[in-house]
Amino acid sequence: MRRILSSVTDGRGFDILLVSITMIFLLALSGMPLVYNVVMSFQEVDMFNLNTFSRPYAGLENYREVVSQPEFGLILKNTAFFVFGSIAGQFVLGFALAMFFMMRFPFAATIRGVFLVSWVMPGLVVGALWGWILAGDFGVLNAILKGIGVIDSTMFWKSDPRLSIWAVTIANIWLGLAFNMMLLSVGLAAIPRDLYEAAELDGANGWHRFTTMTLPMMRSTIGAVLALGLIYTLQQFDLFPAITEGGPANSSNVAQYWAWQYSFLLFDFAKGATVSVMMLGFVLIASIVYVWSTRHEVRG
Amino acid sequence: MTRLPVPRLFLALAMVLAAIYLFPLYWMYATSLKGQSEIFANPPTFWPRDPDPSIYPETWERRSMGRFLWNSLVIGTGVTALTVLLGTGCAYVLARYRSAWVDLGLFAILMLQVLPASVMITPLYVGFNQLGLLSYPRTAVILAAAGKAIPFYIVLVRATFMNVPRELEEAALVDGNSRWGAFFFIVLPLARNGILVLAILTFMQAFGEYIYAKSIITTQAYQPASVGLSGFLGPNSTDWNGIMAYAAIYVTPIVAIFVILQRRIVAGLTSGALK
Repeated sequence: MRRILSSVTDGRGFDILLVSITMIFLLALSGMPLVYNVVMSFQEVDMFNLNTFSRPYAGLENYREVVSQPEFGLILKNTAFFVFGSIAGQFVLGFALAMFFMMRFPFAATIRGVFLVSWVMPGLVVGALWGWILAGDFGVLNAILKGIGVIDSTMFWKSDPRLSIWAVTIANIWLGLAFNMMLLSVGLAAIPRDLYEAAELDGANGWHRFTTMTLPMMRSTIGAVLALGLIYTLQQFDLFPAITEGGPANSSNVAQYWAWQYSFLLFDFAKGATVSVMMLGFVLIASIVYVWSTRHEVRG
Repeated sequence: MTRLPVPRLFLALAMVLAAIYLFPLYWMYATSLKGQSEIFANPPTFWPRDPDPSIYPETWERRSMGRFLWNSLVIGTGVTALTVLLGTGCAYVLARYRSAWVDLGLFAILMLQVLPASVMITPLYVGFNQLGLLSYPRTAVILAAAGKAIPFYIVLVRATFMNVPRELEEAALVDGNSRWGAFFFIVLPLARNGILVLAILTFMQAFGEYIYAKSIITTQAYQPASVGLSGFLGPNSTDWNGIMAYAAIYVTPIVAIFVILQRRIVAGLTSGALK
């Protein structure tokens, strides 16, 4: 007993104690729910057996029912559009801005830092701001686009089924752009500047320098940023209730919001769990890419 | 990268880009100061004709924002306290050693970091219901949100601990400090800045937390400001100057803290996220 006590105050036990308390907490609040989620997706869950642990086994019935929903295909398509549209927009614009702010001019770092304010704002507030900017008749985006002659007629971003998924995607690009730019800037700053000077002396033009030096040297950063983009986009929830509520007629609904609707609007927890488990597959792929790209960092 | 003849031109361009990017924030303040008829003007006025700040106390009163913000503060403080308490020690140990066990722990934490809240909320809700935790809704939200915040916190605080020289801690041990003593009086003070920045970031995230609070807290008296806002926000909203006034009151403290601590927050984030 005394040996354990002295180990806790002054030896290996100290480290094990610090790690294990946290790990137990995380296991209870993330690990166990994860397993429970998979278990529920194979059960029949209703309001009567919600409080008990013995629920009838349903096999693959939940999965079959989810897949045969008429909106299943549409939601799958929307999720893919939302994820790839958001990532492409955030990454391309973020990369362009990161390159721009790498140039030497006064206050470059400060102005770049100000962009990150979008990232600390509550998601629901960002949703409210964009809900108002994208409003059909009175929205400022339509007024600006009309003013510069891009569109002639009013675009009903939130109520037109062909545009509603664009509304949430635009808002999400704005929300994630700064974070992408910041991570890409860190990667760019790590490339030694004299390499560029040498290449310039050898006659490489800007495009050559970008494709043969910047891109290859940024490979692991780009991998991590894209994987984090996928992860954060699948985590994005707040914009949906704030802007479109998934409507009209599911035209802007995505998997993460659908899962929530099943559980907390229809109280069909088994289906909510089933949709979640399906999503987890994609998240796992993304996290493997992410962990793989940060392996240099992990090993310290 | 290139020789710049006119850096001022770039500065001007950077400011234009920042202005475009931050336009939504400006539009929030501008809309909140407009009258009920002016917000529906077509084309919209880019500068409020007749700024009227009386909407702020009115919205505060009508939407009982005092209570909502108090709940946000309780949840934010609870999540931050729990995260710092549980995350700091773990991050320290994971930074101090290099072994297969540490790699495994880090891997597990990185995997937990990626789980979407919308996936976790269904099993958490059912589990909390079975444990009776739903009768303490704010505590339940704090526990759930801390479970989400801790992995992110550990990954970034670990990077801060990596920058603390090992020699200083070893010197303290040689001088007769216990491990606790060396940790509390040598290592923690040296990592203070990084921990502080991440605690503030954790607080900001928890202050704006929505999905857990919306799903778990059904009693209005315990709901935070995000759920309060969602109560009158949706695809068919019309009360836009009220919504923008609410949003402005809600985010102004966060934006102010961010602007003041901007340099440190950016440094703290970028040091650990990617290297």
